[in-house]
Amino acid sequence: MTKQKVAIIGAGPAGLQSAVSLAELGYEVDLYEKKSRPGGHLAEWHVLFPDMQPAGELLDSLMQKVLAHPQIRLETGVNISGLERAGNSWQLIQSDSVRGEADAVVLASGFKLFEASKKEEYGHGIYPAVISSAELEAIFNREKEWPFEKTNKSPKIGLVHCVGSRDAKCGNLYCSKACCITAVKQAIELKKTFPASEVYCFYMDMRMFGLGYEELYHKAQLDYKVHFIRGRLSEASPSGAGRIQVKAEDTLMGRPLKLTLDMLVLMVGMTASVSPEVKENTVELKEYANKGEFVKIPGAVIGAAQWLKPGLFVAGACKGPATLPEVLNDARATALDLRNYLSGVL
Amino acid sequence: MTKQYFGFSVLEQRSVNLDSEMPAELESLYQKEPSLRACIACGNCAAVCSAGHFAEMQFYRLNVMARRGLLHEMVGKAAACMLCGRCQMSCPRGVNIRHAVLMMSQL
Ligand code: SF4
Ligand code: SF4
Ligand code: SF4
Repeated sequence: MTKQKVAIIGAGPAGLQSAVSLAELGYEVDLYEKKSRPGGHLAEWHVLFPDMQPAGELLDSLMQKVLAHPQIRLETGVNISGLERAGNSWQLIQSDSVRGEADAVVLASGFKLFEASKKEEYGHGIYPAVISSAELEAIFNREKEWPFEKTNKSPKIGLVHCVGSRDAKCGNLYCSKACCITAVKQAIELKKTFPASEVYCFYMDMRMFGLGYEELYHKAQLDYKVHFIRGRLSEASPSGAGRIQVKAEDTLMGRPLKLTLDMLVLMVGMTASVSPEVKENTVELKEYANKGEFVKIPGAVIGAAQWLKPGLFVAGACKGPATLPEVLNDARATALDLRNYLSGVL
Repeated sequence: MTKQYFGFSVLEQRSVNLDSEMPAELESLYQKEPSLRACIACGNCAAVCSAGHFAEMQFYRLNVMARRGLLHEMVGKAAACMLCGRCQMSCPRGVNIRHAVLMMSQL
């Protein structure tokens, strides 16, 4: 009997881990990535919270397992736009032609970062000193320059929490979960890079839910002297010499506050990337265009199989904001569900 | 013609201006009591405060004033503390409050 085959859409952390887990369970795995390189957002990050492990290390170890496994076939630059049911298997459609066929499919299309320029009052894309948290990672990775003078060794830097999250004005009522701890991590990295800098985090709540997060926050306060100010930034405006003036209500003081900064970092949240349109025998994988929802799994809370249709599983952050450990665990759990399905248990 | 403000302006008299130079005493206060930095403004210290029954004594607010450089306001308010230490027993961040208030009132 030929080995059963699984197709995975998306080679970010969820897709890579699913591929490894499924190959270890004995399946043939076709892994498709839309971009020219695998890794998703992980490939663009510098170090990871809360242990400051280099993101490249984790990606390398995942990639090594993927490349070393003879049952995994990775193809990049392939945009799977839909699925069609054919008997007991799924056909993968790429621009109207059949690209492949599999006994089961894992959708692992991940998330998109909120477009910072949509939050107009912060001036991203207008003032060079206003950057997104992802752009700051690129600076840490030396792929981008600091937006202030090289001679400035004591910059004043602000980090704004909840940009594009918890915000009905952006249409996103949810919390993106990972950005509070990312802000704490980035604030510490900034203080390590510029010990004489002043770093201010503007938060609404500090959501330090994960293992080691609260401890890192405590460390940021005590050892790195990061300032935490409770209040949402109302606006950012230019203030000469490329600097930025910000205003906020200092809610602990009950007074308005203003501050001039050399750099303002917007902690952008996660948004949906692919919105599947599920029909009788087809699934259209639509790109998120302004209004997309994370993939909803009915009954997911009570432990129902993580699938949209028999044989079509969903793993990782395409179901909603998640941290890396959550994504990796979800990928492993999905692999088990999938095995139960293919062996007739589910 | 009066200047037109778009949306959000800050009332100068009431505003906290973090651009102004922080008073030098602030750093020495932090050095004398580094645990001040660990406060998360949960308010527990104020809820249990003995002096709070009689006077306006909310320790975390003194700390916020200090952080904003408003030392004058802070010193005046710190005088209400009776140094009973109840706040310290309840602080979830282990702030050495009694010592901190003493240092504040002596600035
Ligand atoms: S994790 Fe923090 S910054 Fe991110 S949306 Fe939630 S509360 Fe806001
Ligand atoms: S109890 Fe401790 S942490 Fe809470 S507000 Fe008071 S000093 Fe800060
Ligand atoms: S030590 Fe001072 S601040 Fe603390 S509970 Fe007693 S009176 Fe209040």
